[in-house]
Amino acid sequence: MRIEGSFDIALPRAAVYGHLTDPGLIAACIPGCDQIERISPTDYRARVTIGMGGIKASFNLVVEVTSEQPPERVLSQTRGEEGSRASMLAADNEVALEEIDAANTRVSYVSDVSVTGRLGKFALGVMKKKVESLGREFAERLRERIQIQPAASSAPEAVPQ
Amino acid sequence: MSRDLPVNLEINGAAVALEVPLTETLLATLRERLQLTGAKRGCNQGVCGACTVTLDGVAVRACLSLTLNCEGQKVATIEGVAADPLIEALQQAFVDGGALQCGFCTPGQLIAARALLSQNSDPSVEEVQQGLSGNLCRCTGYRKIIDAVLSAARSMRK
Amino acid sequence: MSVDQGVFRPASVDEAVSVLARLPDARLISGGATLVAMINARLIEPAALVSLAGVDELHGITENPDGGWRIGAMTRHRDVAAERRFTGTLALVQQAASLIANATVRNMGTIGGAIAHADPGLDYPPALVAADAQIEIASGKGRRRLPASEFFVDWYATALQSAELVTAVHLRAASDGVGLYHKLARVSGDYATVSVALTMSSGVAGIATRAAMGACGPTPILLEEANALLSGSPGESELNRAGELLAAAADPVDDVRGSAEYRRLLIPRMLARAFTEARAAIGART
Repeated sequence: MRIEGSFDIALPRAAVYGHLTDPGLIAACIPGCDQIERISPTDYRARVTIGMGGIKASFNLVVEVTSEQPPERVLSQTRGEEGSRASMLAADNEVALEEIDAANTRVSYVSDVSVTGRLGKFALGVMKKKVESLGREFAERLRERIQIQPAASSAPEAVPQ
Repeated sequence: MSRDLPVNLEINGAAVALEVPLTETLLATLRERLQLTGAKRGCNQGVCGACTVTLDGVAVRACLSLTLNCEGQKVATIEGVAADPLIEALQQAFVDGGALQCGFCTPGQLIAARALLSQNSDPSVEEVQQGLSGNLCRCTGYRKIIDAVLSAARSMRK
Repeated sequence: MSVDQGVFRPASVDEAVSVLARLPDARLISGGATLVAMINARLIEPAALVSLAGVDELHGITENPDGGWRIGAMTRHRDVAAERRFTGTLALVQQAASLIANATVRNMGTIGGAIAHADPGLDYPPALVAADAQIEIASGKGRRRLPASEFFVDWYATALQSAELVTAVHLRAASDGVGLYHKLARVSGDYATVSVALTMSSGVAGIATRAAMGACGPTPILLEEANALLSGSPGESELNRAGELLAAAADPVDDVRGSAEYRRLLIPRMLARAFTEARAAIGART
């Protein structure tokens, strides 16, 4: 499934890029992410727990940053499993930063995710909605943490779609 | 979790005491512990109807029933209802009308048809369709099954 | 209370609540139709089960002195489907129950289990929202009631907190009028692709309509603005506008039952069909 979204941040693009490549900050913004560690210059290990309708899944993920093009673009791949390989997850991710103006940046993300195993059998349509809502929550948390001064009404809140 | 727990059931008229895991289904208990293989494991999620049995006289999905949750109840499988006059009439009508091919769904069809006819001795075609809508058949195209149920109903009314 | 190690069989709601409070990983089991399918698919692995079969107050349908109804949470779909006393605007609850899955599954599934699971494709949620039902919930602190529209909060999520359980569904007394539940599904017994639940009664100010769409988003969709358009003496433009509003408020999934776009197309059409049928039925009665 393809997960897409975008959100705006009231900071210059280079500053946003710096934050987005800070694993500790990113981990704190990912809903359900309770640990992250850097295992090589380009690889991170993370654990993310999601729950829906009484189902709980804790994924052990490895994120490999495959291409960094500061301050515009980061490409990465995510691989992982949950529940001693009951489900496998693989995703190709792209995060792109676009300058709205000198002080505002639009962050767009696209992720092509495949889930196989027990969770792959469950309501994929709804799972996509769940992941999209996690994306919106991530955007809100990130904005809260890195926007020193929320740009009041000058920057209308983007509704990620 | 893996520890087995005691349960007492009456299966096809005989008292049975077992110890089973918490999440074992009645279907697994019947087929794998008791070698009652008439109820079939098709989808294992309640859609196909091949596992239909009765619990205290009511048709249910054995795959959606946990054995431990059936404590004290009476289970009847196709093996246990062979002498039931409705089942005899249905079986004869299925044979006469060629209402089965591979036979995998047939035990479930018979139990569901019996539940229908025990509540409605003169169903319409539509009522038979609705009564059996939870029992999938990949061979017959259903027409012959519906005809057989109607024929069994007629023979029982005579 | 008899305690069979992993299976608890409380005799009262209070006992059930205290088991849930003590064992957060225990799962309630009513009919099992959904829970066991999820266990079979290895989606959940309960540490203990709390069977509600022995809690008398959860069983059966009773009429209140004011003409309203209490449907115990353990009431099987079969029994609601057979309930001929749900007349007038309440007929949609009986119709929704009669379209759940198939006869064998209706022998197993219960109203409390269904709504607590809150699958968006289920038949009860839109019917209960359109009927303005109240959901009765028990916890260690006693009972509370929520309108159905506040009970369903997100995909597979309800207002139930931990160690709470649904004890009953309350329906207000039926009004003279019509209650309809229409379901579009790929085959008989499938989850709804889109469903519509609607009540209509007529009075001096014209008709009064309440419509809820099912399977079009995380929770049933009911809009006061759409209901206002469908009340009074609505014409074709009001009906079209209400359909547009409901479609715009929808957030449907793309899945094997239909694309999101297809579901959005169905909303105004199914609304119009149900509305027209209800209006004809009201007309025939007045």
